[in-house]
Amino acid sequence: MRKKLVALVLILMMLGTVAGCAKTGTQTGTAPDILKVAYLADPQGLDPQRTAAVATFNITGNIFEGLLAVTPDWEITPRLAESYTISPDGMEITFKLKKGVKFHNGREMTAQDVKYSFERLKGEDSPKAGDYKNISKIEVVDDSTVKFTTASLDVELAKAFCYPWAVIVPAEADANLKTNPVGTGAYKFVEWIPQQQVMLTRFDEYHGEKAKIKDIGLVLIPDATSQLAALQVGDVHITEVTGNQIKLLKEDPKFQVYTEAMNATQLLALNMENKALSDIRVRQAIAKAINKDDIINTVVWGYGDKVGSHLPVNYPDYVDTNNVMAYDPDGAKKLLADAGYSQGLTLKLTLPKSYQIHVDTGQIIADQLSKVGITADIEIIEWGQWLSDVYTAKKYDMTVVALSGRLDSRYFLKRYRSDSKDFVSLISGEVDQLLDESGKETDPAKRKEIFQQIQLILAEKLPAAYIQTPHKLFGMAGNVEGFRIYPIDIYEYKDVSFKK
Amino acid sequence: MLNYIYKRTSHALQVLFVVSVITFAVLLWIPGDPAQLMLGADATPERLQTLRTALGLDRPWYVQYWEWLKGFVQLDLGKSYLFGQNVSTLIAQRLPVTMSIAVFSMLMAAVVALVLGALAAIKKNSTIDYFSTIVIQLASSVPSFWIGMIFIVYFGIRWQWFPVAGYVPPQQGIGPYLASIALPSIVLAIGEVGMLLRTVRTAMLDAINQDFMDMARVKGLSGFTIYFKYALRSAMIAPLNVMGLQFAKLIGGTVVVESVFALPGIGRLILVAVEQRDVFLLQGLVMFVTTLVILIALLVDIAVMFINPRIRVEMQGE
Repeated sequence: MRKKLVALVLILMMLGTVAGCAKTGTQTGTAPDILKVAYLADPQGLDPQRTAAVATFNITGNIFEGLLAVTPDWEITPRLAESYTISPDGMEITFKLKKGVKFHNGREMTAQDVKYSFERLKGEDSPKAGDYKNISKIEVVDDSTVKFTTASLDVELAKAFCYPWAVIVPAEADANLKTNPVGTGAYKFVEWIPQQQVMLTRFDEYHGEKAKIKDIGLVLIPDATSQLAALQVGDVHITEVTGNQIKLLKEDPKFQVYTEAMNATQLLALNMENKALSDIRVRQAIAKAINKDDIINTVVWGYGDKVGSHLPVNYPDYVDTNNVMAYDPDGAKKLLADAGYSQGLTLKLTLPKSYQIHVDTGQIIADQLSKVGITADIEIIEWGQWLSDVYTAKKYDMTVVALSGRLDSRYFLKRYRSDSKDFVSLISGEVDQLLDESGKETDPAKRKEIFQQIQLILAEKLPAAYIQTPHKLFGMAGNVEGFRIYPIDIYEYKDVSFKK
Repeated sequence: MLNYIYKRTSHALQVLFVVSVITFAVLLWIPGDPAQLMLGADATPERLQTLRTALGLDRPWYVQYWEWLKGFVQLDLGKSYLFGQNVSTLIAQRLPVTMSIAVFSMLMAAVVALVLGALAAIKKNSTIDYFSTIVIQLASSVPSFWIGMIFIVYFGIRWQWFPVAGYVPPQQGIGPYLASIALPSIVLAIGEVGMLLRTVRTAMLDAINQDFMDMARVKGLSGFTIYFKYALRSAMIAPLNVMGLQFAKLIGGTVVVESVFALPGIGRLILVAVEQRDVFLLQGLVMFVTTLVILIALLVDIAVMFINPRIRVEMQGE
């Protein structure tokens, strides 16, 4: 009996081998009608108004749409709105809705849906509700006109309507959006098998230009090396890759590589409530002791741009501050001696385990700091613990993390107000007034000037030592066209096609 | 016999209870707030509080535990707040994957270990014995993620014999299904074969030196019958126990292999549940795995009983 069983198993295994060959053998040929994309982490449900997870927005950006949208080049364009006007005092924004927009359930979208969706976004269990507190009134003027009124002036109001959570959802699908999303996007939802895949298919009644590829298969591959392998054998067409993998793909004409600076800043946050770090000379010494080029070349294989202040390099308001506190270990030693730490200084460096890039960066920084006499005691903790201990309770001396940006500088920089209670903040208050001014200034050119001033102050006062704008790196099959990286957490697959 | 069943069941329930309390307590004690993890870094304290209330996380731990226990005895494992689906559904989706690779890898490891282990013991200090020692050393020391990578590079990318990642359910074709679990099963089998092989060899050596073997030889039985019918059978007790433990370990999850081969198995689900502090999901998974482990231990005991008449006699005499 046992022998028979073993024989049976061996035969089955052999059959599997043969069938496996057959399957992988048929993958060449004409352009496929399904685009397969690998992703690393599962979405936290597919309701973009009930999560803060980037993994969710990456997917729902194709299913749901907002009144406005942003292009890869940071331009604001109407999407579900046909046009919009802002009142002269800047307190009201009125949207004229596009006609004939349908939800995936077949019903036409109306102004009521817009009102409903934004009330839902402002609702109790919406993580982003705080961002829309300032909207005090939502009025349905007529079937295709909606007016939003703000409590106080917000000069960047329009941008609030571009984000992947500021989307229009049909009330009747509300209860199940987390597992069965219904929107107006170019792709409609087919199925989600957690930790396995998400399937989308073209929405044929889409109001704009229809998606070029019929089906999208998003495949969860939790390991970076396996993702690359899947691309190499043709199981997926697009996958994120790491800097060391890029070389391999560049040498092979069957593949292409696409990289772009992220809308994010990697920094070494310095807790100004720590006694030593409250001394600006110590913070400046730390900044001068860090060789950013070394970090970028080792940790991300050169795929990063060093920064001297908080805004990423691709930000419209960016100003180059790299020379304000350039690498200068001797200067660092002198500053430390001036501050009374010529005998050395020990600080704790807390690193989030889930993010290898920050752990690696932290280890290099610790080594660089040791050369000027600062001992960094590394403590590596889990992301959940990082959020509660470092981010919320501010129990840390130094930590490496990346903060991702929004579309307006003010939102990105407001954590530096002395009263922000944020884990990284300029508690001495040097940028408070400028931040207030930027909120009232309606002239974009003048606003830009204010933001540049703030960047210069941060580069000198250093509530954090700024490291780099990391890049997003993608490996793609050679025949994929039209895939772009956006300044917010979305990828629009409707513009992607296969070269003939 | 009834008495025995009663004893085993009451033991099992006690174990389940203790394990459930420990899981619950550990998840509450380790730092990290599920509400914060869900709402992300932008969340305000008020919003965090609202969510905690909505999830029932602001109630005392014993109330939360009692609620969970009430559901559990009615076989309701609750809902995962991470996925928004029933915990039992999530486990059911992953079970075929984990079961498949656990069964196949165990079978492969068992076949290799039994044949090689028995031969090594019979022909002690021969070439085959040395070969088995090398297999034991290599299989126990090479890390599974590395073997996984090597397999992917050669069998997946270079020769394209097997898919590099992902799981194909048997409903979509038995061939693709077996192909999708072949590499991970082999990798896991390699991880288990060393320990099992050593156990088989030692037990077999021990059996060969027993008195009843002389008896069998004197009776003039053939070598095959002597070794594979009598010696191996009496030598099976220790390997069976090892196999039970190994199988239980495989069911409990093999996070590394599941990640490398992108298999949606129990191991990765447990990992996500811990990382995201998804209490109900983790609790359900731990209960499920514990139940399976208890059942496997029971099956091993029964199997040993069938193999070894002496234990059957002791049972009856009890």
